[in-house]
Amino acid sequence: MKRRDFLKKSGAALCLITALPETAFSKGLLKSPVTTNRLRPPGAVPEEIFAGKCIRCGRCVEVCPYRSISLLDIRAGIFTGTPIIAAEAIPCYLCMKCVLICPTGTLRKTSQEQTRMGMAVVNRHRCYTWEGSIICRTCFDVCPYKGSAIILDELRPIIEGDHCVGCGICTHACPVTAEDGSKAINIEPIYSRETVQWK
Amino acid sequence: MEINPRSFHARRMLVLSAAFLVILLGPLGNYYFQINWIQGWYQSLGIGNFWFVSPLEGLESILVAKQLYLPALIAMLAPVVLALLLGSVFCSWICPISFFSELLDWIRRKISGRTWLKDRLLLSRRLLWYALLGELFLSMILGAPIFVFVSPPGLVGREIMTLIFFHTLALEGVIILLVLGMNLVTRRFYCRYFCPLGAALNLIGSRRKVAVILDHDKCTACGLCDRRCPLGLSPTNGMTESLYCWNCGECIDVCQSQALSFQWRQNPEKVQNEKLNQRLK
Repeated sequence: MKRRDFLKKSGAALCLITALPETAFSKGLLKSPVTTNRLRPPGAVPEEIFAGKCIRCGRCVEVCPYRSISLLDIRAGIFTGTPIIAAEAIPCYLCMKCVLICPTGTLRKTSQEQTRMGMAVVNRHRCYTWEGSIICRTCFDVCPYKGSAIILDELRPIIEGDHCVGCGICTHACPVTAEDGSKAINIEPIYSRETVQWK
Repeated sequence: MEINPRSFHARRMLVLSAAFLVILLGPLGNYYFQINWIQGWYQSLGIGNFWFVSPLEGLESILVAKQLYLPALIAMLAPVVLALLLGSVFCSWICPISFFSELLDWIRRKISGRTWLKDRLLLSRRLLWYALLGELFLSMILGAPIFVFVSPPGLVGREIMTLIFFHTLALEGVIILLVLGMNLVTRRFYCRYFCPLGAALNLIGSRRKVAVILDHDKCTACGLCDRRCPLGLSPTNGMTESLYCWNCGECIDVCQSQALSFQWRQNPEKVQNEKLNQRLK
């Protein structure tokens, strides 16, 4: 191979490699699987670096006594093998076992009250009580921080964002299920979108 | 081929089976008996309060996330020290892919009735270093460590766990079948040329203390060891002291004249120079 050919080919290869994130992104391979009711375990670092920091050892899955955490497969692109909690199926009961065994600090050590997996949001067009059809206070009854994270205003549930840990127990218990599988109270993983402060 | 219980092959199979049992019994204990004493597999393994993190996976995590985490560094220490002293023994004595490959070789020998298995496709061994470099490079460009989710030894553990916990298999397990299938073309084809973890461990173990040393006076140059080596290395040419040897000890077992043995190298370069001088005399 001549030097010119070699340079040409290596240049082309370099262009291809740098174009990779772009093409992968268009196919959704770089898209975070964390959406409504799809949460990371407690103490998770922001999604921006989650795929980079997690080494997919699955220890959080094995240690979870409620089987809340499951692993994503290869269809999740670069998030393959990362842990996820489907809140409406099995929520997190805040036993905090997983944060203690994470070997890479992807799940940071936090207390139960300081966990922020997301924030519960009440869909007032679906909630029985808000609609006025019947009086239901299931979400209030099951909330581990009832009275602070969720309060009743004329028997209607209201979320206090400062105290909600986003465990999803309310979502799991909510009797309303829409056609798309969502509930009248859903967890929005707002904290996973935080950006990392580089020092 | 009869198996001598005191041979390195028998001992290695025992260790490989035990290492496989660890990643099999770990999830079983966790799932059915809530025993959390063992968690994980050969990406990160927790046995009680002892944590191990695979050096390459840990390095990738640090490089990509650009954050240091002390427990991870400490957990990487034991594997690194093991590789510094003994070379890439993880690959030959612990890795579940090695376990399956050995079983596959055994089955192939039984079926074909041949003592020796052929290597049909030989590539340049330097590919291994490019695999490691390319893998780190690609990980840093993508912003996600590649090897952590497609590492064959890790995948074996993940498939076992998925099977026990969710009664299903993950799609990426096809990679395991591919890697094992390559054995039919050339023994340990993936391990020889493409495994970034193997490359990293080889690099760490480049000045390993324990190595297979050839006694030139006893060697009859029969070539049995050259045919036996699962990596296709040539002990008669002193390749056991090279970067690529993974200290499995197969060549020692097969040697009829006891010319090969594991030895503690005091100062690898000095010993080699002395040997050269002796041969020149």
